[in-house]
Amino acid sequence: MFKKIVLTLAMLLCVSSSAMAEKTIVFAVDATWPPMEFVNSDKQVVGYSIDYMTAAAKAAGFTPVFKNVAWDGIFAGLASGKYDAVCSSVSITEARQKVMDFSIPYFKVRQALIVAKDSPVKSLADLKGEKVGGQIGTTGYFAIKGAEGVEAKSYDEVGLAMEDLSVGRIAAVVCDDPVAANYAMDQYKETLKIATIIETGEVEYYGIAVNKGNTEVLDLLNKGIESVSKTDYVQEMQHKWIGQ
Amino acid sequence: MRDKPVVIEVGDGAAIPDPRDEGLFTAWRISFFGTLAIIAYLVVFRPDPYLDIIKFLPDGIVVTFQVTFASIALALVLGLIAGLGRISKNTFFNLAASTYIEVVRGIPLLVQLFYIYFALGHLVRVPDMVAAIVAMGFCYGAYMGEVFRAGILSIDTGQTEASLSLGFNRSQTMRYVVLPQAWRTILPPVGNEFIALLKDTSLVSILAVSDILRRGREFASESFLYFETYTMIALIYLVITLILSKILSNVEHRLNHYERR
Amino acid sequence: MWNTDSTIMNADNPIISIQKVHKFFGTFKALDDVSLTVNAGQKVVVLGPSGSGKSTLLRTINRLETISSGSIIVDGQDVNDPGSDINRIRAEVGMVFQSFNLFRHKSVLDNLTLAPIKLKKEPRDQAEHHAMKLLEKVGMVDKAESYPVQLSGGQQQRVAIARALAMNPKIMLFDEPTSALDPEMIGEVLDVMVTLAREGMTMVVVTHEMGFAREVADSVVFMDEGKILEIAPPNRFFDHPVHERSRRFLEQIL
Repeated sequence: MFKKIVLTLAMLLCVSSSAMAEKTIVFAVDATWPPMEFVNSDKQVVGYSIDYMTAAAKAAGFTPVFKNVAWDGIFAGLASGKYDAVCSSVSITEARQKVMDFSIPYFKVRQALIVAKDSPVKSLADLKGEKVGGQIGTTGYFAIKGAEGVEAKSYDEVGLAMEDLSVGRIAAVVCDDPVAANYAMDQYKETLKIATIIETGEVEYYGIAVNKGNTEVLDLLNKGIESVSKTDYVQEMQHKWIGQ
Repeated sequence: MRDKPVVIEVGDGAAIPDPRDEGLFTAWRISFFGTLAIIAYLVVFRPDPYLDIIKFLPDGIVVTFQVTFASIALALVLGLIAGLGRISKNTFFNLAASTYIEVVRGIPLLVQLFYIYFALGHLVRVPDMVAAIVAMGFCYGAYMGEVFRAGILSIDTGQTEASLSLGFNRSQTMRYVVLPQAWRTILPPVGNEFIALLKDTSLVSILAVSDILRRGREFASESFLYFETYTMIALIYLVITLILSKILSNVEHRLNHYERR
Repeated sequence: MWNTDSTIMNADNPIISIQKVHKFFGTFKALDDVSLTVNAGQKVVVLGPSGSGKSTLLRTINRLETISSGSIIVDGQDVNDPGSDINRIRAEVGMVFQSFNLFRHKSVLDNLTLAPIKLKKEPRDQAEHHAMKLLEKVGMVDKAESYPVQLSGGQQQRVAIARALAMNPKIMLFDEPTSALDPEMIGEVLDVMVTLAREGMTMVVVTHEMGFAREVADSVVFMDEGKILEIAPPNRFFDHPVHERSRRFLEQIL
């Protein structure tokens, strides 16, 4: 008898607390992509995307949890349900839209070509027969693969590609422009520079990826992103993280 | 006066099949032909995506073999030097070899790969493949050093004394008498290290060397077919290591001829 | 008959001269003030209980053991002088071991030809011709292509003697050559050694074979606790041992 009462009470507590609490959304982040998402000196995952989603969470009423995950396999983890969404500077592409759903865009991005400071290279076309690096499975890497006569070399992290570029093992790196700016103007300002912004024809946008049909999460995300995008906070974040 | 056979602890290489295994169904045959059958089935009946995956991999297989053979060659040379150093009476040589082995064995292979790869990058401009090979060879040289040392010490001192008493000096004794016999003891663990090294070359994919694993990952990251791609990668590694373990067991069998006849 | 002749003939020509040799293993005194000269053509048999230092003494002659003090001159060269070529000295001194120590990875013929080909640069056919003659001498011609593991102990030891002879040594050292053999094989090895003795080879033999000592030795050396206690012709040693410990040793053995 006593047992029954306890059990009933416990169940009631559970139901009420979950009904009252906000929905928690777990984001997978590959925090090797400064300034969009990276690990700071206090070992916290920070960056433009993180600030953006935190603001969106406040607006839409959910609790964000950021989980640091390696890029390669980040979509496999999403598919197998290890987290609800991928917030990791994911460009919205047709190929990706076939296997997952995307939120509305929260950032406009272009691909930048980074070369050594003393390099005369002006575009990917100048790099025929050379090795050019990019992070595996990124739009930057796909752009290299699409360039004729260029040997594409994939890296687990864009930072490793920058290191190989700085010691001369590869001729150039292609990645998202805010990231390129971060590396070429900060960490490697003595050795690297941005040669050009690659015109791929289409403009790329970052979106949050969720599993196909996960409308519950997607609706919350869209609601949050939409309300944040209308505020001045976007300019503030731009200034804070990208310096433009 | 038959010496007791010396058994050296084996590492994490593949199981070397015993050439005396008789009968139609041996573990090796089941694994090998089973793997081939699965690959054939997948490629023939599910060409999309398995045929596409397998078409994507050949240059990765070539790179894996290049890294493996170049690294093992380097590791054998370093291992022989380190092994001889460990039993040398020359204090400096002995200490240098022991320190090399201690240091290398105390650091995880992946960490060493990263370290040598990037450290080397700042010292000399070498291509990524060369850096990866130097890193692998350097690490495995230390493991080989212990194998060589154990192999040399397994040879009865009477052999050395007989050789010295005929007028051979120490290095001639090593070359004509000890090492040719030590090979018999050394070969099985060396074969094991060889296969372990082949498998460990998958680590160089982290260094952006386009081996089997990296090629596979590139395919998967574009197609999102993770399960299918890794299935094929695993099967291909398995076929390669099974073939190698068979070859090694045959070589080992041959080398034992003067003990068995 | 022959042994007395050779002794007299070479009386003033010591080919091995061991003077005041001490040898320590840590604090253990293996050789204690040992002096011994062996003339060319002489056959010396060293007797003594196990642990008496007789094998150690034998092994110092070709520097398989170094010495703590004293001197050893072999064929005019100081064995322990860093300036002398120890490998050249060793090539002149053949050695036969208790455990045969044939090269296990080489055939019988290759065991015999390895050193002449590599060290003396003899052409292979010449080395093999010589090797076959030696195998004939020890009665092992039909096993020329065999490997050591296929041979009995007695056969292995006969091949080991032939291998040592292949370098045409001036001196032969035997370190308990029959101790590891089954009794029925001892005879075949001793026969070869007796033949060698009759041909005038200088021999230093550590053994427990009293019959061989009596038949072949020019002099018998008795050792105990690292010291040489008695040096005498075999007849006198076996029939009238001088030292008390020699007597006790012979009582136990015979």
